Amino acid sequence: MPGIDACLVQAMEVPGALGASIVDWTSGLALGSAGDSPGGDVESTAAETAELARMAAEYRSFTADPPGAVELPEGGQEGGQARKSPAVEDLIVTTPGTYHLMRFVETGFDSSVFLHLWLDRDAGNLALARLRMADLADRMVLG
Amino acid sequence: MTSAAVAVSPMLARLADEGATGVLVRDHGVLYLADGQVVHAESPAAPGIDVLLTAGGRIARTGWDEAVQRAGARREVGRFLVESGQLADGELEICHLGALHDAAYFTLAPTGGPTRFRYGVAHWLGRVRPVAAAEVAREARRRRALLDAVWPYPEIDSAPVLPAVLPGSPVAAPRQRALLALADGARTPAVIARLLGRPAFHTLLDVRRMAAAGLVETPSEPAAQPTARLPGWVAAFPDDPDIALLRRLRDALEANL
Repeated sequence: MPGIDACLVQAMEVPGALGASIVDWTSGLALGSAGDSPGGDVESTAAETAELARMAAEYRSFTADPPGAVELPEGGQEGGQARKSPAVEDLIVTTPGTYHLMRFVETGFDSSVFLHLWLDRDAGNLALARLRMADLADRMVLG
Repeated sequence: MTSAAVAVSPMLARLADEGATGVLVRDHGVLYLADGQVVHAESPAAPGIDVLLTAGGRIARTGWDEAVQRAGARREVGRFLVESGQLADGELEICHLGALHDAAYFTLAPTGGPTRFRYGVAHWLGRVRPVAAAEVAREARRRRALLDAVWPYPEIDSAPVLPAVLPGSPVAAPRQRALLALADGARTPAVIARLLGRPAFHTLLDVRRMAAAGLVETPSEPAAQPTARLPGWVAAFPDDPDIALLRRLRDALEANL
C-alpha cells in the first residue's frame, strides 16, 4: 500500500521513465512529482495534462457505456454518491521522442486524480508501462 | 521564502522561515504549521477530511469517530486510520491534500481581517503529508486566478446554484450532473460540496465552468451570503486544546456554514 512518494519512486523504476506525477484533474494541482517534466515546469505540466484528462473524463464519446452494457445508476441521487469507476482507464499521447501515459486512480471517496508517467520512447516499453501504472493505481488505494 | 507567499500573507512567510509550529487563524479558516510546513487546514467554507471520507461511505462515521476517540488525544488520527486497515496510505494522502488545499484556499483569501498565530498547537489528524508554506500560498493564488479565467463572476460562488434551462445547452459531465442533481434553488456550492463529500473549490470551479457553458444561471446581484467566517472566539482558544474543544470547534464550523 504505497503512499504518494513510494508510488512515485516505483513509477520512476518503470524502464524509460523520465518523470512521474500525481495530478488532480479538476483543479490541475500536482499532489506530488518525481524526475523531470517537459519544459522543466511541474506546475504547467500538471495543469495541462489535467485539462486533457478532464476532457476525456467528461466528454460523452469516452464516458458512454459500451453497447449492450447494463445502465448503471449514476451520481446524482440525494447524498450524491459518485460513480466509483472512472469510465476512462488511461490516456496515451505519443510524441517523436516520448510517451505520456495518464492512468486514472479510482478512490472510494469523491476525487479526480490520475498518475502521469513521462516515458522515453527508445528506452521505454509502452505496454509494460501501462501494466505497471495500472497496478500502481490499484495498490495506492487498496485498503 | 519566495515573494509569492509574501503577497498572500507576510506572517505565513515569516512563520515558515522561522520553522514555527502552531495554528494560523484568519477570517475564513485556519492553517496548522509544524516546523514551518503546512500540515493541515480547516475552513467553515470547506468540507473537512471527515466529511470527504464519510459522505460517500468510504469510511463509516462510527469508524471515524472511533479513530478520533482512540488516536485524537495523541494527535495521530491519520496514522490510526491506516494502521487499523481502514485506509491505504495513498488514499489518506490524496484525501488529506485535497482537504488541505481546499481549506487553505479560503483561509488565504484576501481579507481585511486580522491574522493571528498560536504557537505550539498541533492538529489531531497528525502529520500526513506536509506541504511547504510557499507552495500552499502559490496554489491558493493559482486557484483564484483559475476561477476568474473560467468565468469572472465571483458572486456565483456564494449564491444558490440555479440550473439554467436554455435550448441547445451542452450536456453536463457525469460529475457535474451529480452536482446539478443537488441544486434545488436554495443550496449554495458550499452546501452541495458537503453533501457530495467533494472539496468546495472543486464545486466552485465546476459551477463556474457550467455557468460559462450556460448550464447554470449567473446571478445578476452581488451575493447575499458572504463566505462563511470563523466565530470570533476561535482565536482565543487555550494553548493546549483538548478533544472536547476541537469537537466544539468542528460543530461550530458546521453550524456556521
